Amino acid sequence: MLFLSTFVNAQVVEKKKDSLGGVLDEVVIITKKNKIKTDLKMAVSVDEFLASSANISFIKRGAYAWEPLLNNMSTERSMITIDGMHVFGACTDKMDPITSYVDSNNLSDIEIKSGQEGGLHGATVAGSIDLKRKSTPFDFAKKWSGGYQTGFELNNNQFFNLANASFSDDKLVVDASISNRKASNYFDGNNEEVKNSQFEKLNASLGVAYKTTDLSSVRVDAIFDRAKDVGFPALPMDLSLSRALITSIAYKQFFEKGIVKVWDTKLYFNAIEHYMDDTNRPENLVHMDMPGWSTTYGLLSKINLQKGNLSSEVQLNAYNNLSIAEMRMYPQDRSERTMFAFSWPWVTTTYAGLSINNLWDISDTSQLNFGGSLGVNYNFSKYVEFNRIFHPNASQEKIRFLPSVHAGYNFDVYNFNFSFGSGYGHRAPSVSEGYGYYIYNSFDRFDYIGNPDLKNEISYEVNASAGYKTKKGSIHAKVNYFYIDNYIIGRILSLGSPMNYQSVGVKGYTSLDYATLFNFSINAKYTLLQKLHWQGTLTYARGLDDTKMNLPFIRPLSYQSSLHFSHKKFGFLTSLNGDFEHINYSPLYGEDETPSFKNFNVSADYTFYIKDYKTVFQVGAENLLNEFYSTYADWGNIPRMGRNIFTSLKINF
Amino acid sequence: MKYLHFTLLTICIVMASCTIEKTDYGAELGIETTEFIEFNEAITTNSGDYNISIAALNGTFYKGYNEIRLKITNSNTNELLENSEITFLPILTDANGNKSSSPHQYNLTYNATEGYYSGFAVFTSETSTTISWQLYINFTDGNKTHAVNETIIVEEQTNKNLNITAFTGNDNAQYFIALVAPQSPNIGQNNLIAGIYRYNKPTNVAGVFPDATQFSYSIVDNYTLLLDPRMPEPSMGNHSSPNNQDLTQQTNGLYQGVVNYTMTGNWTLNFILKNEQGQTIKGTEVSTAFTPGIVGAKGELFIDILF
Ligand SMILES: [Cu+2]
Repeated sequence: MLFLSTFVNAQVVEKKKDSLGGVLDEVVIITKKNKIKTDLKMAVSVDEFLASSANISFIKRGAYAWEPLLNNMSTERSMITIDGMHVFGACTDKMDPITSYVDSNNLSDIEIKSGQEGGLHGATVAGSIDLKRKSTPFDFAKKWSGGYQTGFELNNNQFFNLANASFSDDKLVVDASISNRKASNYFDGNNEEVKNSQFEKLNASLGVAYKTTDLSSVRVDAIFDRAKDVGFPALPMDLSLSRALITSIAYKQFFEKGIVKVWDTKLYFNAIEHYMDDTNRPENLVHMDMPGWSTTYGLLSKINLQKGNLSSEVQLNAYNNLSIAEMRMYPQDRSERTMFAFSWPWVTTTYAGLSINNLWDISDTSQLNFGGSLGVNYNFSKYVEFNRIFHPNASQEKIRFLPSVHAGYNFDVYNFNFSFGSGYGHRAPSVSEGYGYYIYNSFDRFDYIGNPDLKNEISYEVNASAGYKTKKGSIHAKVNYFYIDNYIIGRILSLGSPMNYQSVGVKGYTSLDYATLFNFSINAKYTLLQKLHWQGTLTYARGLDDTKMNLPFIRPLSYQSSLHFSHKKFGFLTSLNGDFEHINYSPLYGEDETPSFKNFNVSADYTFYIKDYKTVFQVGAENLLNEFYSTYADWGNIPRMGRNIFTSLKINF
Repeated sequence: MKYLHFTLLTICIVMASCTIEKTDYGAELGIETTEFIEFNEAITTNSGDYNISIAALNGTFYKGYNEIRLKITNSNTNELLENSEITFLPILTDANGNKSSSPHQYNLTYNATEGYYSGFAVFTSETSTTISWQLYINFTDGNKTHAVNETIIVEEQTNKNLNITAFTGNDNAQYFIALVAPQSPNIGQNNLIAGIYRYNKPTNVAGVFPDATQFSYSIVDNYTLLLDPRMPEPSMGNHSSPNNQDLTQQTNGLYQGVVNYTMTGNWTLNFILKNEQGQTIKGTEVSTAFTPGIVGAKGELFIDILF
């Protein structure tokens, strides 16, 4: 009993800290705890779920594995982790963001933190996205629970089956899940097939926790993910096979007395292999093999402290990653010698950092959240000769110190809520930015070359929010501004010539003097009738480089509005979302003007019971009007999916 | 629990073995090339009281550039002959009995610390049914001069990084460019070393064979060899590399520059040979345009390599 209450307490402390600590969106997500679904769809992919967050946008290269942009910044600038574990994709072309290695049925929650507040797990500029796995607590009574979801999406014949089961008693917990998704090519708004947009994914996870003493437990986790035959219509290549094994063993110790509440230590290992394939692209002049591997070992140890009104989390993070990517081009006369090079020449990244986050409840209506971190980042390029072709004096080893600090103040006045925050932090260049070699970017059609001696990117950030809440509704506006020194971006090099036959030139990753980014969002909710709810969101962002030219992939003014009605066992939702015209595009970085679009979506669900099991059936349509469109961030302007009718069934045991 | 650990361990092991093996980079670079660093005896011959032994890389004479190390031992005393004046002349005899030579160092240099005489020979063709090579060597011991000649076998050079080219320059002289290093290039920067030689047309009437004045070659001094490497494979679209350096002469007489290879495969080294005054002796500038689907540019003067 004692243990249980401690456990619950600790959970509460953590939750409270989380929800108050994050000024931005994760408050919304916390309320969706254990329910990875959107208002429109109950059976969503991780990407679709993330898309429902106002500060996430996506670069889409097809129907699968969208690259999440946080605060309009790409994955180099954000920190995406799975339960705090670092996993690095094995694809030079960004076909595999970390979010592609999990599925909605093995996650309980996705925690998004904006800016330096997200620096707990490692250095970041944009913030962090932590994918939290399902983890059932110990329970006195033996308990089995589970769920099964199946569904079909008409547009691309996607068929999916997701199952998960949990067992818990007072000594042992087992969480398991398995999912499978298979889709054919999708059709755009002109009812034309988008070739090479199929995918197939299998994901399985297993977690076993064992209570070693009343106050301690050991947990072993593993995720296996396999994607095969995945088309990337916007890229010149597809994915033939990608496999990931993500494992960890964690030891958790609770303390009854003293200021230390929990000490959680985890060792982890993950390995990813990624094999691209161009054999379904007869238009290609060259046949290429482009395999990639990424292997990471890590340690994460954190303690939660509490004394009076102050609660803190101290975290030690250490990891070592080896990223390897090869390219082998086959000459037209296959008897001739193949042409080989590394696109990631065996690049090791070793990081160790200590971070702290504190929450001080000054009063019932005001909190101060502050923290910081200091990390050491070490890179080693085994085959540095590749880097020295463009940078003859490139260093083989590079040590960087990555400090960060942040603070935020949050207070309530009557029905109003305000917050102000500020942050400062460094980040190291990514493997591609530092060591990439002839990585073809099909968006601007340049081959990209890394520079090992790039300076740290330094972010200065301010943010604020204001909200007003009544019984009937609420309105909340958030704004943040980043001033980023040494902003890393590709610039045309006068040196060298393209290697990939589609490319038009060579770009090198270079530091701009600075760049600025501004994000704004406003979200409103209103209860029209007891069972009729409206909610709307408007977002705007602007990014400029040091010559006041537009940065690429900055979302234009966009909106989302939905109306939800429930009656007895029925639920109905209609939503409208869209982007305005993308005026502030960046021709310098390969963008062109994208017209506005709007999507009209509807769904209806019905809840009933099979025996005692709650069952929900849903049917709906996305892009009901079958609008032909592509967004500002659709790689190569590939058209998005046209009308998609979806059905799904969910049973909870 | 134990069983579970075992299962997880098994999964780990299964996963650790990748579906596609990573490329063994060292082996990859050695597919087309072999690097020889050891000098071994290529021939040995006896003349009177003397034993003459010539060492070359891998104990073999190859078409192209060969550094040679010659040792003379007095078989009576078993002592190395020091400070001798040694001349070295390779002679090619073709099917019609015509005799010619190829670039070589006529007066060998004595290396006192190692006890051998060093020089080089650039064989312009390999031994065949119609072509044979003889070495004519004269040496002195005290005041006495000894002459030896010996037939040798010149093997085909399969390593394209040691290719040669012969051409007539705009000054009507006959030139030879022989690649010397790297034998086995790396991706990235390579010190490109080449020998540049000229045939000296005889000004006098031939004397008694072998008359060295009829077979005279010299190292070309103070020229510059401009370099523009390109990949010939059509799909590479005339791909080139950055940060290359033209070849200039070093104190040892050879020319050195820097070539960057961005990947393995076939490369064309396009050259322009310029004399001390900057006048072009041979070679043309090549297109720098990126031309996917078209064979990479080759100028008037080039050498193909492969690694
Ligand atoms: Cu890929």
